[in-house]
Amino acid sequence: MDLLKSLAVAASGLKGQAGRMRVIAENLANADSSPERAGTDPYRRKIVTFQGKLDRELDAQVVELGRVSRDRSDFRSKYDPGHPAADASGQVKLPNVNSLIETMDMREAQRSYEANLNVISSTRRMIQRTIDILRA
Amino acid sequence: MANNGLGLMGALKTRMHWHQARQKLLAENVSNADTPRFKPHDLRAPSPAGNGGVTLAQTSPLHLGLSGQQGGFDPRDPKRFETTPSGNSVNLEDEMMKVAQNQSDYQLAASLYSKSLGLMKIAIGKGR
Repeated sequence: MDLLKSLAVAASGLKGQAGRMRVIAENLANADSSPERAGTDPYRRKIVTFQGKLDRELDAQVVELGRVSRDRSDFRSKYDPGHPAADASGQVKLPNVNSLIETMDMREAQRSYEANLNVISSTRRMIQRTIDILRA
Repeated sequence: MANNGLGLMGALKTRMHWHQARQKLLAENVSNADTPRFKPHDLRAPSPAGNGGVTLAQTSPLHLGLSGQQGGFDPRDPKRFETTPSGNSVNLEDEMMKVAQNQSDYQLAASLYSKSLGLMKIAIGKGR
């Protein structure tokens, strides 16, 4: 039945967005993770990728999380000579996480998640109507 | 069979099938709303004339024609469109509108179907 397939497709969207939220939460939680010693790198921001995949059983293009890659941009640095990870000039490297960008990303994930939920509830109502035919 | 009321139920059944197929396509569009280079699809509205329109037969790849068209899909250009830098052109608001419309049209067809069933029951003497 096609309606059940719609549910499965929307569920794949939910799963993808939930995985994205997980990575965003990881980035935000590690926004201030500094290295332990001088010369080592702090936490590097993670980026999720999405890819469409043709599901042959559903005969539909479902979405799934692709590789989680790392952001290659420069680290932030802060002047803190007393810090154990400070280099010779007193600078400490901090993660390249920008909380504004992460918040934006989170909003987008939330919006897409809600859209998928909307599709699911609409499909469920359609299924309910089909069952109601039996009762008429 | 066409004149005894079963034709109507057959038409409603086809209509409900069409809405189911469309719901699947719309679910695909929404779930891929963040997939790079994804283009949304929609079904062409069913026309009472049967298969939707006549197209030119292409017997050679050199023929000019309506290329890029797949049978059954809606070829019309969308009125609103947006394409993100990643090449994704799903407009979530538009898809939500379509999902809501699809749902209410489906409910219309389903309640008409149950009304026709009620008519049948009256005819065979089981209606109140």
